[in-house]
Amino acid sequence: MTAQKPILEIVDLHVNVEDKEILKGVNLTIKAGEIHAIMGRNGSGKSTLSYTVMGHPRYKVTSGKMLYKGEEISQMSPDERAKLGIALAFQYPVAIPGVSVSNFLRKTTNACRGREIPVKEFRQELKALMAKLGVKDEFLSRYVNDGFSGGEKKRLEILQLSLLKPSLAVLDETDSGLDIDALKTVSEGVNAMVSPETAILLITHYQRMLDYVQPDFVHVFQDGKIITSGGKELALELESRGYEWVKDTTVNQTVSV
Amino acid sequence: MSESLQVDNLQVSTIAREKVEDLCRLNGEPNWLKEKRLSAWESYLQCPMPTVKDEDWRATLVGKLDLGKLCPAAPLKEGKTASTPDLLKAALKDLAKPGAVYVEDYARGQMSVSVEAELSTAKVVVSPFAQAVESHKDVLEKLFAEKRGIQDKFTLMNEALAGGGLFVHVPKNTRVEAPVVMMLNLPENSTAATKDPSGLAVFPRIIINVEENASINFVSIVASEKTAEATETVLAASVVEFHIAAGAKVSVAEVTNLGPEVFFVNRVRAYVARDAVIDFTTAGLGGKQTKSDIETILMDRGAHAAVKGVVFGGGAERYAYNTIAEHAAPDTTSNINFRVALKDKSASIYQGIVKVDKVAQRTDAYQSNKNLLLGKEAKADSIPKLEILADDVKCSHGATVSPVDKEQLFYLTCRGLTAPEAEELIVTGFFQQVLDTIPIQGVVNFLAALTSDKLHKS
Repeated sequence: MTAQKPILEIVDLHVNVEDKEILKGVNLTIKAGEIHAIMGRNGSGKSTLSYTVMGHPRYKVTSGKMLYKGEEISQMSPDERAKLGIALAFQYPVAIPGVSVSNFLRKTTNACRGREIPVKEFRQELKALMAKLGVKDEFLSRYVNDGFSGGEKKRLEILQLSLLKPSLAVLDETDSGLDIDALKTVSEGVNAMVSPETAILLITHYQRMLDYVQPDFVHVFQDGKIITSGGKELALELESRGYEWVKDTTVNQTVSV
Repeated sequence: MSESLQVDNLQVSTIAREKVEDLCRLNGEPNWLKEKRLSAWESYLQCPMPTVKDEDWRATLVGKLDLGKLCPAAPLKEGKTASTPDLLKAALKDLAKPGAVYVEDYARGQMSVSVEAELSTAKVVVSPFAQAVESHKDVLEKLFAEKRGIQDKFTLMNEALAGGGLFVHVPKNTRVEAPVVMMLNLPENSTAATKDPSGLAVFPRIIINVEENASINFVSIVASEKTAEATETVLAASVVEFHIAAGAKVSVAEVTNLGPEVFFVNRVRAYVARDAVIDFTTAGLGGKQTKSDIETILMDRGAHAAVKGVVFGGGAERYAYNTIAEHAAPDTTSNINFRVALKDKSASIYQGIVKVDKVAQRTDAYQSNKNLLLGKEAKADSIPKLEILADDVKCSHGATVSPVDKEQLFYLTCRGLTAPEAEELIVTGFFQQVLDTIPIQGVVNFLAALTSDKLHKS
């Protein structure tokens, strides 16, 4: 795996939201074939990182580098990034009332793949994915995320990512609001996206999704940066000892240096 | 058009009694109708021209309408040319096989009516108004006698000078699925009429009478076509009435797609009897100034009105819609849903009144108006009002005016759509929510195509 080329390289990234610094020097390299998990408390800046990678206009990169397959993406619009192969599964996907799921999926898939997929071919692909993710047919005629339960929204996010086949998938708290069954199905959907060419960045509060989607690396986020990294055992450690423990170790480390 | 479109020297601003009488003679109308015209004419003279100081007209450019330049259109001759107005063609393509098509084409100077055998067999009447005055005088005389509703300068103008128009009658227990389609096609300028003053005014009167437990679908298209280079004012002031008897249901889709020089003043009145339903959707997609008042009068228990609007402004177009939901009996329900999206410098004002009479206990009324501002210079106003005299009612309303939601835009751009593509999809969805509720088959596609065209028109 070490011979793989990096998909995402973030170097000393600083990001402001309305003149307040939220990310304070993030360093992170994700190579093809890897699954990385970022864990941390609410307000530590995890979601800011995901929005910044996707290019939300409210999040301003003030310094640092953000390279996707070697190319600087900070100045690119979200749709340019999407077309390059970056996708974000939202923590809180917004509703687009009046737009049916089927129409939306076709439009966005065509946009990301850069070609019109024949209707029949698209339908076959979609039906197969829906079956895997336990999504019912009636879903397609509903308006996007309108009146969806938390679990339905997350399933739709994973369904979209499965169609868009991104090289870099960022999953922002995809596990929140899911019951155990839904968590299993959604995790299977995530695992199906894994390939030697793709990279996955999983952002989560809890360890529980990591039982199903096994990360190669776990990073702990605090106060706008990664304060420690490790293998998947770090997640288990965090689960039993809490985030306070990480804070303590870093303090100790600083002292001992 | 070889003949003049206009009645000689009959200016709208200075109607003389003899001229109204001339019109009656020209149409060969009976005395009772002549009396109605003359009484409307007298009221018309008394009634001041509305100004922007009037609550209902605050956003309407009546001052720009030079009545002195307008002459009412002469009655159209029946005929059929090879060319059908484009919009009608498009509508007929999308609609399920229509039951009847009535065309009043002032751009080509002719009218036509065709009724399918299915409707004739069921004794459904679809007739030009002038003919119905003779053939259905009893019904019409009765309907005219029991009239109520708001009168204003333009309504009275219509009543005094009405020409053209349509009468539809659906007998008891007759349910007609195939829609009755009416098209009013106007010239976008009337230089074809050589006389001075050269503006054209048309005053269609449409009466739809649906008896007990009957039902009908009605599609009305008001459009205009370029007929010459120069621009002169064109005014259409129509009155549309629905008389809906107990247990009957009427579904209506009305589209106005007029050129930038055409004024449109419209008054819709629906009288809804016990357990009867009106489902009314209007789509305002073009015109210099559209002023439309939609009154639904719920007259007996169980009556229901659903009034929906899709308004899409562009350029310097102006729209003023008033909805008046009157609950005149207990246990009546109304639901109003008006959606407005505005591009460029277009402007809209929506005023909605829910009136609950003292007797109308257990009224359930909801009123919603959402406005989407797409142009930086576009302007939308929303004034919802409640006038409640009963004490046991459920009435609520909501109004919003906002630009396109930034989080929706971000979400869609994250999925590969460019910002303009994302905005387009959001606007489409904004309207689609209303269009999806239209019960007349095929209308959704027709209107979705029209709003999509407008979205792409710069």
